[in-house]
Amino acid sequence: MSPRSTRRWLVVACVSALAALALMTWQIFDPTVWPVMVAMSLGQGLGTASFAAFGLVVRADFRARLRDGKASKQAGPE
Amino acid sequence: MTLPDSPLSVVELVCAGLSAVILVGYLVARPPLVRATKLALLLGLGVFPIGAAFSGNVHGFEGTKERRFCGSCHTMVLHAADSDDPASQTLAAQHARNKMFGSENCYSCHANYGMFGTILTKAGGMRHVWMYLTGYRTKSLEEDKKEIRLLEPSQMNSNCMQCHSTEDNLWLKVPDHHASLDDTRAGRLGCASAGCHGLAHPFWGTDAGAKP
Repeated sequence: MSPRSTRRWLVVACVSALAALALMTWQIFDPTVWPVMVAMSLGQGLGTASFAAFGLVVRADFRARLRDGKASKQAGPE
Repeated sequence: MTLPDSPLSVVELVCAGLSAVILVGYLVARPPLVRATKLALLLGLGVFPIGAAFSGNVHGFEGTKERRFCGSCHTMVLHAADSDDPASQTLAAQHARNKMFGSENCYSCHANYGMFGTILTKAGGMRHVWMYLTGYRTKSLEEDKKEIRLLEPSQMNSNCMQCHSTEDNLWLKVPDHHASLDDTRAGRLGCASAGCHGLAHPFWGTDAGAKP
C-alpha cells in the first residue's frame, strides 16, 4: 500500500466514522423506530467498516516497515 | 426531538464528541502516520466509537420499551394515543397511569414472558418491522384497525398473570374468577375480553379479525 493510498484510506475511514457517529447519535434526539434501527444497523456497520479500514492501513504500514527493516539489514552497514 | 435524558445518552454523546474532534483534527491537519497519529486514530476510530456504540445500544434497547417508540409507527398511533389519554378507561390506559407500567406499558403487557422473553420480543419486533415494510406502510389507519391482531392471543393472560397471579384469596373470592379459573389460566378466556375486564384498546373488537 503506497503512502498516498494509505492516506486516502484513512480519509475514507475518518469520513465514514463521522457519518457513523452522526447516525448513531441521531437516536438520542429522536428515539423512534427508524433512527434506532438505523443507528444499530447502518451506523454500527459503517463504524465497524471504518475501524477495519484503519486496521488494514496499520497492518500494511507495519509490514512495509518490517520489509524496509529487512532490506536495510541485508544491505549491511556502510 | 428530545434532549438527552439518561446517563447513557450523555456517555454516548461524549464518546461521539471526542471521536469527532480527533477525526476532524486528522482530516484538517493530515499528519504523517507516526505512532502518535496511530494512537490518536485508534481512539478516534476504535475506542470512542465503540464506547458510543455500546452505550447507544443499551440506551436504544431501553428506548424500544417506551410507548413513544411503539407509537412512532403510524399503525400504532391510535393505541399510543389511547394510552396517553388521561380520561380513557381502557385497560391499556389504566395500566399506563400505573407507575409500575407508566411509559413502558406497551412493552410490559406485550413482551414475552420467560427467560428469553426480551430476546423473543425483540425478534418479534423485527417481524413487525418486516410486516410494516411489506404491507402496513401504505395502508390507512382504518384498514390497519381491521387487520391488526394479536399473534398469540392465548399467551396474553400469562402476561396479566405476572401481576394478577390468580392465586390470591381476594381474587378467587370473585365468583366470575372462581368459575373461569381453569380457562383463564389456560388462556382460553381472555382477561381483556368483552365479557370480563373489557378490551385492552378501545377500537378492538369493533372490526372482524381484531378480537383480543
